[in-house]
Amino acid sequence: MTARNREALALVPSALLLTAGLAAIFLRRDEFLSNESLVYGGVFLGLCLAAHLVIRWSAPNADPYIFPLVAVLACLGLVELYRIDESFAQAQARWFVIGLVMFAVTLASVRDLRWLQDNKYTIALASLVVLLLPRVPGIGQSTNGAYLSISVGPMSVQAAEFAKIGIVVFLAGYLRDTRQVLIHGGRRILGLSLPPLRHLGPLLVIWGTAMLMLIFIRDLGSSLMFFGAFLALLYVATGRLSYPLAGIGAFAAGAWFVGSRVGHVQDRVAAWRDPLDPELFNATGGSYQLAQSLFAQADGGLFGRGFGQAELGTMVDGDLVTTPLLPASQTDMIYALIVNETGLLGGAAILLAYLLIVQRGFRIASLARDPFHKLLATGLSAVFALQVFVIVGGVTKVIPLTGVTLPFMSYGGSSLMANFILLALLLRVSETARRPA
Amino acid sequence: MADVHALPLGDLVEPVSVALKFGIVGVLYLFLVWVARSSVTDLARVPMGATAPGVAEGTGLSGGGTGEPRLRVERAVGHNPGDEYDVGPGAVIGRGGQVDIRIDDPYASGRHARLVRQGMVVIVEDLSSTNGTFLNEEPLVGAQPLQIGDRIRIGDTEFTYLDD
Repeated sequence: MTARNREALALVPSALLLTAGLAAIFLRRDEFLSNESLVYGGVFLGLCLAAHLVIRWSAPNADPYIFPLVAVLACLGLVELYRIDESFAQAQARWFVIGLVMFAVTLASVRDLRWLQDNKYTIALASLVVLLLPRVPGIGQSTNGAYLSISVGPMSVQAAEFAKIGIVVFLAGYLRDTRQVLIHGGRRILGLSLPPLRHLGPLLVIWGTAMLMLIFIRDLGSSLMFFGAFLALLYVATGRLSYPLAGIGAFAAGAWFVGSRVGHVQDRVAAWRDPLDPELFNATGGSYQLAQSLFAQADGGLFGRGFGQAELGTMVDGDLVTTPLLPASQTDMIYALIVNETGLLGGAAILLAYLLIVQRGFRIASLARDPFHKLLATGLSAVFALQVFVIVGGVTKVIPLTGVTLPFMSYGGSSLMANFILLALLLRVSETARRPA
Repeated sequence: MADVHALPLGDLVEPVSVALKFGIVGVLYLFLVWVARSSVTDLARVPMGATAPGVAEGTGLSGGGTGEPRLRVERAVGHNPGDEYDVGPGAVIGRGGQVDIRIDDPYASGRHARLVRQGMVVIVEDLSSTNGTFLNEEPLVGAQPLQIGDRIRIGDTEFTYLDD
């Protein structure tokens, strides 16, 4: 079976899951099964096959497993969003279609990644501007004390989602050119051989930017995501463990400093350390959300309560649907909701799917021959993995909870579009690497 | 929807619901196991150009190609941009007579730099030239493994390393 036929076949399970998931929810709601879920499943399969045809045409040798894995995650996300509120699923379905179009356009238009490498400084500058825009009065918006989104007319754009791709492109291009100097460093200080100041400078600037992000955007999550991807790239580019180790130390020191001084970050850390403290639990912006997330996951048990059976307590507040028992269940908490409904078994499957995507991503990097492609695939996979870690880690109380989306599942157009662009770039690298000579 | 065919279930709601839940998780796991298995098979296959000699040397990245290592002229007096020179087992670049790739550059020494094939990698080293060799615009120190796309500059002469 050729790679592309394998991919087409692998899209069938996602359509099946969508059909079955919706059927389970209809059953709970209306006590009957209808062919409506079959129609939705069919439409979903049709859309995925259309995207598959674009891949077949423009990247015939690319990795065949990543896209079906993404389709499975997206369909489970749609099912859960439908379960929270039908309007979420409808909006998300529209974003999914737009995301697929962006994916197709990126895949078809970015045929040669050299263009990205040549424009890395422009891309880096644009990304930084986008990252800082949410802080500009008038267009910026603050959500729970963090400055994460830009509002353009009726739409709101999550800055970090798009900036992460630009930053990774820049770092891959930059490290591709300077890695040799970083390996054969100059002076040795305290057993650590430091690169010449001229090259250490930009690295320090990147560290400084991550710290500034913490202070200005007040978001530990995206800052961790960016800096983590940077360290992963630095390690792959130089093969020296001392860089990431020193980087982790520097980040920890900076995070501790900021965490103990910036109010918003401080609150998050306090809520994380003791979410069940009655005082924090009842405080506004306290640990209520995190504690409820933990309860929901524990309540799910091994096998879960079943689709459509999580207690959310839907409350319609004007146009905005809120779920008082699990706040932000459509975005931050979607993982907790899935664990409540499908149990540890379902949650583990989701994580496994993410793990497989990341494994395929690193596999693409290991197959790539051009160093820039190698670094780009590594960086994109790393930033994707870290995003999943930051939000799932936050929801499960491994790290302080921050508002990062769960890629391809959370409600939100920016996240879907940005991650589809990321996926298109990965497949482009894969196509270049696997194309027979 | 215009023609919804509804199947009322009555008492069967609970068992069907549970069956659907386990069915969904089952299909999900079967799919993931299938992908994981194919992925492992894929790992075992020796891929083209995946041997990464640089990794063993601790340099992390490598451009170990499979094809013929060669240098493409970017700019050089007396050469046409786009011309390609095979590196073969090795090649010496310089201004003198006893070299493989002769460049007519005022900054070049007689025997300026050397490319040597070592196993899967081609390394470049400066032959104590007067004005030095630049690899990706960095002064070349010692011997460096080359990756696809690396730029080697001597004075005003520039080559790109290719290997595919």
